[in-house]
Amino acid sequence: MKQQALAHFTDSYLIVIAFFLFFSVFLGYIVWVGRKGSKKHYDYLSQLPFHEEDPT
Amino acid sequence: MGEGQGIDSSDVRSSGYIQITYDDTIVRYFVLATLFWATIAFLVGLFVALQMSVWQLNFNISWLTFGRLRPLHTNAALLAFAGNAIFAGIYHSTQRLLKTRLFSDDLSRLHFWGWQFVIVLAFITLPLGFSQGKEYAELEWPIDIGIVSLWIVFAINFFGTLAIRNEKHMYVAIWFYIATIVTVAVLYVVNAISIPISLFKSYTIYAGIQDALIQWWYGHNAVAFFLTTPFLGLMYYYLPKAVNRPIYSYRLSVVHFWSLVFLYIWAGPHHLLNTALPEWLQMLAVIFSIMLWAPSWGGMVNGLLTLRGAWHLLRSDPIVKFLAAAIIFYGMVTFEGPLLSVKSVNSLGHFTDWIVGHVHLGTLGWNGFLTFGIVYYIVPKLWKTELFSIKMANIHFWLGILGILFYYVSMLTAGLTQGLMWRALDTNGRLVYPEFVETVIRIIPLYYFRAFGGGLFISGYALLLYNVYKTIRFSPGVSDETVQVKEASFAIKPTERGHRRLEGMVFAFTILAFVAIAVGSVIEIVPSLSVNKYVQMEKGVDPFSPLEIAGRDIYIREGCYACHSQMIRQGQTETLRYGAVSTIEESLYDRPFQWGSKRTGPDIARLGTKYPDLWHYMHMEDPRSVVTGSIMPAYPWLISSKTDFTRLKEKISLFHKQGVPYTEKELEESNTVAKEQAQEIAERLKAQGVHEDVADKEITALIAYLQALGQKGGQ
Repeated sequence: MKQQALAHFTDSYLIVIAFFLFFSVFLGYIVWVGRKGSKKHYDYLSQLPFHEEDPT
Repeated sequence: MGEGQGIDSSDVRSSGYIQITYDDTIVRYFVLATLFWATIAFLVGLFVALQMSVWQLNFNISWLTFGRLRPLHTNAALLAFAGNAIFAGIYHSTQRLLKTRLFSDDLSRLHFWGWQFVIVLAFITLPLGFSQGKEYAELEWPIDIGIVSLWIVFAINFFGTLAIRNEKHMYVAIWFYIATIVTVAVLYVVNAISIPISLFKSYTIYAGIQDALIQWWYGHNAVAFFLTTPFLGLMYYYLPKAVNRPIYSYRLSVVHFWSLVFLYIWAGPHHLLNTALPEWLQMLAVIFSIMLWAPSWGGMVNGLLTLRGAWHLLRSDPIVKFLAAAIIFYGMVTFEGPLLSVKSVNSLGHFTDWIVGHVHLGTLGWNGFLTFGIVYYIVPKLWKTELFSIKMANIHFWLGILGILFYYVSMLTAGLTQGLMWRALDTNGRLVYPEFVETVIRIIPLYYFRAFGGGLFISGYALLLYNVYKTIRFSPGVSDETVQVKEASFAIKPTERGHRRLEGMVFAFTILAFVAIAVGSVIEIVPSLSVNKYVQMEKGVDPFSPLEIAGRDIYIREGCYACHSQMIRQGQTETLRYGAVSTIEESLYDRPFQWGSKRTGPDIARLGTKYPDLWHYMHMEDPRSVVTGSIMPAYPWLISSKTDFTRLKEKISLFHKQGVPYTEKELEESNTVAKEQAQEIAERLKAQGVHEDVADKEITALIAYLQALGQKGGQ
């Protein structure tokens, strides 16, 4: 079973599938990270190093 | 939990605010340890660099030879210098980013003292020759267990801190720290699995190609997850702090993080290009290495553009100078890495000093300069004072830059020169430089330049030490910083979705990061674990005889692999110089594999029977007596020390259990068989003119091994 699976390991169609899988995940999170409306949130996050003390 | 000093909640809790005292004491400890070990790592490096130009500096003393000190230098740089530096930075920045004291003072202290203890053990055992013979993973099994245990202590302390944090969101630096902790643990444990024979000797469970693949999966990702991701995390915290501006693009940092951790893990096999490693693995490594350009440069651009509107600080502030230069070095080294991973470039650069230059561009430029920048930033803060001398820090900066320049340019030149000489053919298709030593003699002047560059770098570093010493001396006294923060409520609002939720969920985030590194690891490693898929058993490979195994252990102990490869790569000039291309089958039983990564001396995969025994005897006693101009150390102690036959039987039976086909006689009477073979060699040596009886001496076992190289079939 394992041997059979491994025999197909370098088949080119598997590589193409893997490529599209990886690449679509990549594109997906690029789109998602860049989505509108998140700017305020990311601005908040990028300020975290400067929030040493909460104003009382 | 640091009760009494950690959280003083009695009077402020009612208002929703609590007082937090950061554990800066542990940060001060780690900073001082960083500076102490860096001094030693740098000096050992300079010393072994000088041994390349002046071989006499080996002093004919076993524990001072290059082969034993080189692992000390690399381990000191990695575990002691970089290790303490990242612990200092991580503990300092994490407390502030999460607005809480570290989880446990006891764990912090255990982590600190345990780590220093482990380093001391490494400093004792490596020069004595206790080595697993795997690059950057030489430490023997008891020390490995120590390192892994302390890493777990670090992990508990770190994740515990995350659990008690008062800032719900995890800043991107924290992501990089998490990826570091998880991945280093996986890499180190998987690579270090070995079976002990005694307290100081063990054999890895992987053999030949498996071992090569796992070793460089580990080795390259030690660079990725010990020298890159934690330092990137530090960059994302200290650079904005130093220039008082947020990171250029937080979105880019998210993309940077996920792309980098996903892609990096695949790149390991680019250390094995043009070798017997299966083609598809080499191709994967090349493709992913080239893809790494993108996230690496994304990170660099993100760092540099953080300086927008603050470029003037580059003129006045040494901290910003160091940090910005470090990021530029990061950009340079991550440009060069993918370039070197292209197979044709690799066939020229690999095994030469170009690689040594490449590595030092990263360690001195990126890790060194980033650490120096952080030290100049953090020390005045931790000791509540101003930096003693800004001018001195500026001089340090320029000395460092000049030092790296000399170092890198000389090593690049040496590498290209030697690489081109190795492959130079005349019009008749013969090697122009058939004698390897010719190509060594040519580059020795460059080794002086390299040592000069290292000297400059170290003299700049000496200024840092003096500057820090003076700064601390003028300190009015230390106290840990206390701040008032809002106590966090940890309920995740139902309106938060997607990544915002994830950012608040340490566990889920950690699992995702683990998955990102696991994909590449599994795809590359699992197929090689069923190695029989690639190996043509009918080629018939004989294992090394018991005496040859004893000799092989001496070869590993002396660190011969630091200068000699045992892997003839594809390519006409390789074959012309060294013989037929090495096959997977030939190293089938090798635990550990000894393919090597550097040819300061020639490849010796097919050394066996090339020279008479006497040649090897004389070569070990005094290399210059048979190879004029050689820079190899002499190994006179091999002629006087006795071969350790005591555990030979256990070793042979261990290998046998792992599938190495030893005969009944070799198994049952390993010692007798070994002694018989030793006797034969000693008699041959006697006939050739050696006066002493060396049958029971280490030299005989080593000669047996060297004469067996390439003679066991499998071609």
